[in-house]
Parts: sequence; C-alpha cells; structure tokens
Amino acid sequence: MTQIPTVETRRLSLRGPQAKDYPNFKATFASYRSRYMGGPLNPYESWMLYAAEIGHWDIRGYGMWMIHDRATDETYGMAGGWFPAMWPEPEIAWFIWPEKAGRGFALEAVDAARRWLYREKGWEGAVSYLDAYDLDSVRLAERLGAKRDPEAVMIDKDDSVYRHPSPAKLRNSQLSDAIALEIAHYADPRWKPEGWALD
Amino acid sequence: MTEIPVIETDRMILRGPQASDWEDYAAFRASPRMSTVGGPFNRREAFQQFCALIGHWQVRGYGRWVMTDKETGEFLGVVGIYFPEGWPEPEIAWSVADAGEGRGLAQEAALAARAWAYQSLGWTRLMSLVDPSNERSVALAKRMGCEIGGTFEHPDFGTLTYWYHPGPEAQT
Repeated sequence: MTQIPTVETRRLSLRGPQAKDYPNFKATFASYRSRYMGGPLNPYESWMLYAAEIGHWDIRGYGMWMIHDRATDETYGMAGGWFPAMWPEPEIAWFIWPEKAGRGFALEAVDAARRWLYREKGWEGAVSYLDAYDLDSVRLAERLGAKRDPEAVMIDKDDSVYRHPSPAKLRNSQLSDAIALEIAHYADPRWKPEGWALD
Repeated sequence: MTEIPVIETDRMILRGPQASDWEDYAAFRASPRMSTVGGPFNRREAFQQFCALIGHWQVRGYGRWVMTDKETGEFLGVVGIYFPEGWPEPEIAWSVADAGEGRGLAQEAALAARAWAYQSLGWTRLMSLVDPSNERSVALAKRMGCEIGGTFEHPDFGTLTYWYHPGPEAQT
C-alpha cells in the first residue's frame, strides 16, 4: 500500500487520515456546513466517503490529508489532491471543521498541499471546484491566487471552477510572498482578537 | 498503511484492489447484477466504492478482496468482511461479476474469507446480510451452512435478512 507522506508547516502537520480522526469528519458531513461538498450525508454515506478518502491515496498516489495541529495533534479538517472518476481535472480540495474556521488553517494547509502536488507529483496546475455561494472557499481560492475559469468544464452546472496559478507563476512571486505573509500573521498575530469568527 | 493479505484458493487469488482493477470494477458496478445491493452504480459512485474497499482495510483492519482467476488474472468479483457504519455487525459479503457466475467461485471465495476471519481475527461468529429477493445469494448462504435469523432494516437498502454462519468449531 502507498505510505501517505507527512507534510509539516509552521502550525500544522498534514497526515494520512486514520480511524480515530473519523468522528470530526462525520460531524462535519452531518452538518449544514457540508452543503457545498455534497452533504449532508447519513452515517453510512459519510463512513464510505471517509474510507474512500483513504483509498484514493492508494489508487491515485495522492489524496486528502488530515490537518493536525503540530503541537496538540488536534484535527482541523482535510486538504489535498482529489481526482475521482468523472472529475474533468485533478482538484485541490479542502474543508475545515465548522468550529475551527477563521484561523487560517485552510490557507496554510492548502498552500502546503499545492506545493507538495506541484513538487512531488509534477502537477503543472490544478483547479478547485467550488460552489459560487460558498464564499469562504471562493475567498480562500482568490487569496491563493486562483482565478475563476469560465471556460473550464464543470462537474455540476452550478459549480465555479477556480484555476490555480502554475508552479512557474508561483516561483519567487509577489503572490507567494503575500501568502507566506498572511500565514505568518495568522501564526503570530500582531494583535490578538477578542474571539475567533465562527464561520 | 495496512497491507491487505493475499489468499490463494483452488482456483483464485484473493488480493487487495489495485488501480488496474478500476475499469473491471466500474463495469461490474454498472451491471444489472447490482439491483439487489442498491445499484446499478455510475462511475462516480463506483469510484468512491472502489476507493472505500481499500480504506475499509485501513479503518477496520479487515475488509474485502478482489477475486481474480489464478490462471488468467481475470476479475471475478469482490468478497470479504464488510462493516461500514450503520451495519449491525461485520458480515461476510460476496458479489460476483458475470465471469465469476455459475462455477461455485463465490462459495469458494466466501469460505476462504470466513476461514481467514476465524483464524486471523479470532472471531467466533459471522453473519451475512442478504436481500431476500437475491435468490442466488440465499442459496449460497444455505450451501455455506448458514441459518436464517431475523431481519435488518437499512435506510438505503431496505429489508435484509440475517444469515448466521457456522462458527469456527464447525470448520474442518
């Protein structure tokens, strides 16, 4: 079987999904937050999807990582490469547990996942299939330099396809610096907010 | 990740699913044979089920194998221990493709899976859930010495019948 690699970032450790991480996944896919990612799902559907997230690594050689806090091991969501049958192109996908949103974890995880896919898998680009109403994800795609591609083939007719910048465009770019700066601000904020945004 | 064991029977190799099995699996899941297990399934659904075959092993430590012809490598079906969330308990599940039909291969594979579960997992009981309209599977459960139990209502799959397998002490 494919060994799922671990990717470390400043605050996060991206690791293969394990059985013990399932409850948060199930809770997220049972919640209204999953409406933009094919949910809500019943327990059978969410379990089968979780098993498929793991098996995807073996079939494709890449997949979705579980996002852990490096210090506490707590999980925050998932991010990585996703390419099921009938997807027009390989996708960079992510989701964050509802109560963990707003702290820049998706930005940090997706940035690391994208660099890994470009470096280790030789991807020359990627798309993210987003729901146009999922403004948190649309904003994240834009912060990562992805732009809506109206010419791209969609999965469902109400998707928006966001196309990520190529590895060449990211290299030594102002965009990469901006992403790094934003991640640094989340990790080491200049000011401490009174609380975290809920969504 | 958990290594999926390989089992050799008289006529088959039971092994973990591989990327090269995908097209055979997709055709199998799209066939009218799937009508008693919630199908037929399109490629998108089948891909998730295919990946989940592998993930099941990682999450549970056991799962289902791909049945292949020992001589030709041909894809014959899927057999093994299935326990997704929402299932009442782990079951021996079998499902054969057209190429695996009518030759006693499902029985040969299911017996090997049952023996593996008793020997390697140390289990003392196993059951199979069968759609009562699936006459061939009902007949196979009887041939394997199963005794009928109650029924199980699944929100997606409807009413299924419990068939309890003979325990490990009955194995020769």
